[in-house]
Amino acid sequence: MKTTKACGSLLAGCLLVLALARVNAAENWVAYSASPTGSKVKIDGTSTLHAWTMESQLVSGKMEFEPGFKLDPSLKPGKVNARAQISMPVRQFKSTKDAMDQVMQQAMKEPQFPKIEYRLTELVLKEAPKMPEGPYPFDSKGELVIAGVTNKIAMPITLLRVSPTRVKVSGSTDLKMTDYGVTPPAPKLALGALKTGDDIKITFDWVANQRADAAKAP
Amino acid sequence: MKKNDGHQDLNRREFLSGSSLSTLMMLMGGVAIQAQDKPKEEETGATNYQTTGAPVKCGLIGCGAWGREIIKTLAVLPNAPVVAVCDTFAIGRDRAQKSAPNAAAHEDYRKVLDDKEVQAVIVATPSHLHREMVVAALQAGKHVYCEAPLAANHEDARAIAQAVQSAIKVHFQAGLQMRSDPQYLFRLQFIRSGALGKTVKARAQWQKKQSWRTYSAKEMNWRLQRATSPGLIGEIGVHQVDAAIAYINALPVAVTGFGGILRWTDDGRDVPDTVQSVLEFPGGVRLSYEATLASSFDADYEIYYGTDSTIMIRDNKAWMFKEVDAPLLGWEVYAQKDSFYKETGIALILDATKSTKAAAATGPDAAYMESPLRHALAAFVANCNSHAAAVKDFSDNFDISDTAALKEYLDTSINKVKTPHAGLREGYQATVAALKANEAILKGQKIVLQKEWFDLA
Repeated sequence: MKTTKACGSLLAGCLLVLALARVNAAENWVAYSASPTGSKVKIDGTSTLHAWTMESQLVSGKMEFEPGFKLDPSLKPGKVNARAQISMPVRQFKSTKDAMDQVMQQAMKEPQFPKIEYRLTELVLKEAPKMPEGPYPFDSKGELVIAGVTNKIAMPITLLRVSPTRVKVSGSTDLKMTDYGVTPPAPKLALGALKTGDDIKITFDWVANQRADAAKAP
Repeated sequence: MKKNDGHQDLNRREFLSGSSLSTLMMLMGGVAIQAQDKPKEEETGATNYQTTGAPVKCGLIGCGAWGREIIKTLAVLPNAPVVAVCDTFAIGRDRAQKSAPNAAAHEDYRKVLDDKEVQAVIVATPSHLHREMVVAALQAGKHVYCEAPLAANHEDARAIAQAVQSAIKVHFQAGLQMRSDPQYLFRLQFIRSGALGKTVKARAQWQKKQSWRTYSAKEMNWRLQRATSPGLIGEIGVHQVDAAIAYINALPVAVTGFGGILRWTDDGRDVPDTVQSVLEFPGGVRLSYEATLASSFDADYEIYYGTDSTIMIRDNKAWMFKEVDAPLLGWEVYAQKDSFYKETGIALILDATKSTKAAAATGPDAAYMESPLRHALAAFVANCNSHAAAVKDFSDNFDISDTAALKEYLDTSINKVKTPHAGLREGYQATVAALKANEAILKGQKIVLQKEWFDLA
């Protein structure tokens, strides 16, 4: 009886130590939070009439690197333990036409899925940067969630050290709207219908500061 | 366009020349029946989208003739419910309420601002009352549409400008409705592309035989006294002065003026009923402005003279008159033309093909059936939604107390892509130019305009 009790206490103690270790490890991760200014995400598409563009500068989220991480030339090519969660309100993507914005929001089922989200799952430094501040070329893997549909995507990205505490993450990827359950909009116009193409390109610059309280957690 | 000109004039000649069944129905408020000439939806693969934004609940402060024109226009917009109307003058308030029977009626504008349901207010009171109401509305967190001129004196205009710049969480729009009109935007692009050659001078006028006086209430006659009135060029001319600033693409550097009471000499007014003013722009370009309440001859129009062509704008329509040695543009060969005595004007119409088709179906003025005011108020509602969404999304993701970051976000992202409208800058600069011109008219002097008078900071 006594032994069982002692074993139980020991187990509880071990679990507590492990839990504390985890908390401690999380605290030691190098965290960057989105800057409220300086970011930009652009969506380029085509249509039967003309090319179109929508842009948002509201990109929140955070990116964390393993303890001891430094974005400097000491970083060796290879896998880097990192994680990120990025989020963008769909309705902040603007063309210059309010009607087109409304159409796109409906196509992306905005009321139900108000955010585009991205989760980074893997990051590999391809080669050493040419300059100490970068850009540092990485291959990334992650999950992109649009209109409630999650797809795995891989894309090359770069990290640029804008200042000792500020980084800019840049990249671009090609997507198909239909892969995310989004029907390419074909709004009726006065002179007939305009049909948008399925292929779109997303280009982004995400700026983040090494400061824990710069943004709310996504 | 004109504050005291709430009624849309019907031209008898145009009515008779276009007196088809469809025109008659249109004038009676009916919808012209036309043959189906487009393929059905399923054939084109077109999808129906709701392009109307969320409703913005509005309060109208000031139910005079122009205020009632505003509420009638809001009533036909799909997403601008008017939930409160306010005027100290009961008859105006009651008349306005006919366009919004469910709106609460108030005598005190502060009741409108206290109403949590009201998201946006339209201030259409006499110009000298704008300051107090606009500043209070902005402080109450309401989006504001302020009629032009923004104020009756420079100090009030500056106070409004400062209040707008502090109230970054709400949308502000000046009532220079032409700035939202697609026909105006088309003309602006056309003129800025250099179609006039070198602009050498401009002329604008507004003439209407009317007293500006009303017997219904003393406070309704605020336009007749200098203490409360910005005069003809301030009240009416501000729209044409604003257009000149936009078309010439510069601010005036000096103003001269003359004025007198020549017709309405017997009612104790001290505001001139007939004025002439010259606004000088950089490079020696001058706008000659004339307005009178003593004659209706030739109504109102603007003319911009250039070395290659001259453009005349009247009733929101425009024509280009080319010089014989002007370069051939090409499209003008096929364009609609109208004769003016010995001159031939080439009509400048946005989307001429579409307009011609619409005109064939619904009447000769189909391209202009949506008034500039309707465009301006629709833009106001869309911009209120866009601004409010941006502030909310910023707040959900970042620290809203970081006003510098919020302002940068709004300025670099949202404010640049709002539906075309007159913002604070356009409203303030046109107001200052018109008020200074009025001052020059009253003094009969030339006033050199200091650059800093137009600065917002």
